[in-house]
Amino acid sequence: MKLRRRWDILRMRLRSLLRPKRVEEDLDKELRFHLAQQTDENLATGMPPAEARRAALRKLGGVTQIQEECRDMRRTDHIETLWRDLRYALRSLGKSPGFTAVILLTLALSIGANSAIFSVIDGVLLRPLPYPDADRIVRVFFHSASYPRFPLNPFDFRDFRARNRSFESLAGFTRSDLQLSGTGQPERFTGFAVTAGFFHALGLRPARGHEFNTNDEIPGNQQQAILSDRLWRNRFAADPNIIGRKITLDSRPFTVAGVMPPGTEHPGNEYNGVAHGETVDVWWPFAFQGNPAHRGSHYLEVVGRLKKGVTSTQAQSEMNALIAQLAHEYPDALAGWQALVIPLYREIVGPSERLILVLLGAVGLVLLIACANAANLLLARATSRQREIAVRAALGAGRARLVRQMLTESLLIAFIGGGLAVAIAVAGVWALVSFLPAGFPRADTIHVNAAVFAFTLLVALATGVLFGLAPALQAARTDFHDNLRAGGRGAGGDRAHLRLRSVLVVGEVSLACLLLIGAGLMLRSFVNLLRADPGFHPEHLLTANVALPDATYKATEAPHFWGRLCASLDSIAGIRAAGVGTDLPWTGYDDNIGGFTIEGKKPAANEEFHARYHVASPGYFRAVGIPLVRGRFFTAGDNMKAPLAMIVNRSMARRYWPNEDALGKRITFEDHPKEADWLTVVGIVGDVKDKPDSPAAEMALWWPIGQSPVSVNNMAVVVRGSSAPSLLVNDLRQAVRQIDPTLAVANVRPMDDIADANVSTPLFALFLVAVFAALALTLAAIGIYGVISYAVSQRTREFGLRMALGAQAGDVRRLVLRQGVKLALAGVALGLVGALALGRVLWSLLYQVSAADPVTFASVAALAIAIAALACYLPARRATGVDPATALRSE
Amino acid sequence: MSKPSDLIQGTLDLLILQTISLEPKHGWAIAKRIEQVSEDVLQVSQGALYPALHRLEQQGWIRAAWRKTGTGREAKFYQLTRAGRAQLEKELAQWERLSHAVGLVIRMAS
Repeated sequence: MKLRRRWDILRMRLRSLLRPKRVEEDLDKELRFHLAQQTDENLATGMPPAEARRAALRKLGGVTQIQEECRDMRRTDHIETLWRDLRYALRSLGKSPGFTAVILLTLALSIGANSAIFSVIDGVLLRPLPYPDADRIVRVFFHSASYPRFPLNPFDFRDFRARNRSFESLAGFTRSDLQLSGTGQPERFTGFAVTAGFFHALGLRPARGHEFNTNDEIPGNQQQAILSDRLWRNRFAADPNIIGRKITLDSRPFTVAGVMPPGTEHPGNEYNGVAHGETVDVWWPFAFQGNPAHRGSHYLEVVGRLKKGVTSTQAQSEMNALIAQLAHEYPDALAGWQALVIPLYREIVGPSERLILVLLGAVGLVLLIACANAANLLLARATSRQREIAVRAALGAGRARLVRQMLTESLLIAFIGGGLAVAIAVAGVWALVSFLPAGFPRADTIHVNAAVFAFTLLVALATGVLFGLAPALQAARTDFHDNLRAGGRGAGGDRAHLRLRSVLVVGEVSLACLLLIGAGLMLRSFVNLLRADPGFHPEHLLTANVALPDATYKATEAPHFWGRLCASLDSIAGIRAAGVGTDLPWTGYDDNIGGFTIEGKKPAANEEFHARYHVASPGYFRAVGIPLVRGRFFTAGDNMKAPLAMIVNRSMARRYWPNEDALGKRITFEDHPKEADWLTVVGIVGDVKDKPDSPAAEMALWWPIGQSPVSVNNMAVVVRGSSAPSLLVNDLRQAVRQIDPTLAVANVRPMDDIADANVSTPLFALFLVAVFAALALTLAAIGIYGVISYAVSQRTREFGLRMALGAQAGDVRRLVLRQGVKLALAGVALGLVGALALGRVLWSLLYQVSAADPVTFASVAALAIAIAALACYLPARRATGVDPATALRSE
Repeated sequence: MSKPSDLIQGTLDLLILQTISLEPKHGWAIAKRIEQVSEDVLQVSQGALYPALHRLEQQGWIRAAWRKTGTGREAKFYQLTRAGRAQLEKELAQWERLSHAVGLVIRMAS
């Protein structure tokens, strides 16, 4: 029985909700019937027909009132009111399509674009490190004035590991690529020789098998390898019985000891650097022994996991104490060194911190501008609707009802804008990701960040509610009669509104200027970067890496192999020059040698002679396009039978032989040199910086390949053609295969790619900031347009009067323009001052541009004022377009 | 003449339910019937009648259907639902109790 009643009630509610028209008609019909009955009765008492009907109506009372009361009884009031408010809001938004389009665009652009860009920043730069308790992971370096961040010597590392109390695990690692053969094509993989506890320090463990122990560090023990998930799947078909399987690496047998899970990220390193990320495919034990007194060779990078509660500063003090201790035992090797312990996070994110700061700043500025704009538009709308509100209030709308209506409208705008923003955010992330330079780390993990989107939406919503509601509250409080009498031009609140709106616009313009100046400065430095002479010719140049396994190529055989390869390449038609060298420009190699002796010179106190060192074949410089300044390049005659030769770069020549000719000068690496131990400078070549944006080139020297004191088993091959380098790939592979088919040709890529990769980050940053600046400028222009066109509509009568009294259209137009440009000027002035103050933030991102670059500042000021004038132009034309008579009559 | 405000809302509901408890009636007939039976003491304001009917209908006490009257016009006839009948009994009992109580007080006071 109760159920039946519930059903009846539900049916009635649904009916009144879904078919309100039908319900109203029914009520109408019912009331008509009632009237007819009453009229009949009146007629029966002898009234004349007209009188009978009038009396019946009178008896029934106000039909409208009955209808309204019946509606109340139906209790669907809330939903219906909402529905009516929504329809009203839609209608009134539809009636001012300009306002609607602009505010929706403002919201959609600011929320959508902001979320998209922030999502990319978040995905690429802000993601936490993929290691458990990453805040306890640190990098350990040696430090001195000449070498601020230096790798460790294995024996120093071993002593640190044995004596420290700060670390849960301290591990060393050094780059050592391996060539895999035996399964398919020989291929070279990025590899690291690591000590025991390397993965433990990172907080990782193999998915299968186990990591190395100290026993594996003894040379001659069985060779083992840990594979990356990628290598295991691609080359070993994800063999579930891989552990213990024998594989051939660098022509030596290895046993697979483990497989790392997917997502194992290399922490990044400096010496023969490999970028942070899933960049490493094979790890093998770092084995070392020898005389612990020989500690001159530094090549082991160190990563450590601090014990709980130990800070990196505490660890650094302990390391320093250990160095002091060791310096007693090995004064030659350790005097003058200090320890440097840096959190891994700082190591990885540190370099891009400024960039992140600038981009986040840009996000914030655009959001501010967007809010100012939304506020501005809503204020303008509220002011022009004061009369409408007054009329509705006079007709009996309660204050709550009016506020509710306004709120509905604000929320409607926010939600439609938010909906559009979702589309823009999704499309924007997609566009940004496709714009990212190839091989950008983590590009595949970037997606719209829901939290950011929600936050931005909330801010926009709050702005909408605040500025949409405040005028409604105010209007509801003021005396409606005043407003009605004032006739649309509103009462006192008006002026205050206009002033507030002008302040908002000035703020918007200044923020936009700030962003524009940032973008302009970055654009200028980017152009400088592209224009700067790299010191070599990247075009038409193919590069690759070939490594000769130590097991099959002894030290004397390697130079012989490279000689044959270069000769073979040189003989190919279409190859203009070919060579091999230990490294390529701009690839981050950082091999330093210090402590050599320059004939007839003494190093400054507390310093030693030092330089980057490289090995090059005779054709290397010609192929890379590094110009010869003086002297000669190497020749095939620079071999073990000839006197020792070397080439230095211009920086080294200038630094160590200032005001002298470096050619023919000699250095030696021996403490007690015989005559044959001296190297003679045979050539001086042009400078190449470490990175395109490095402040200056480092000093560098080259040994000829035939006299190299260091291993030349792993070399970069450079081949210069006369057209697209991709045409040379097959020639290169063929040439290598002809000499030794077991060798892998790795990292085949045009030098242009390496060059592009080096400017991709500044380009990406420039692109993002430019997008922000364009967005900001658009929003600011919208703001100016809004304020000026409102001001014009308020002054229609005044303009009409002026023109009726003989003012020319030009005068009026100038009047309007002046008002707009005045706002813009104030904004620009504030913006320029702000930019000067904030210049320091940008400084480190700039390249050969002053943070107060007058060209940029002047252009931005001109651009902003021009855009402002443009935004005023339409309203100005409208001001003069009105017929004076109409204008005077308009109110 | 009684104004609508004199009729306590619950009372009008009770009168309507009671009036249609024997047979379905349309709004005008309900008003007429109440006036007749009360010997014109209770004048039902038509402005209050229809909202009350709406309310009772929304609450599921009464149900309406369109039917032809004797004069050939279409009218909306209201009848009690089962729940409405139960409600009527409850309200009647309550009314009896209340009027008895009021009567007692008045007699005591006089």
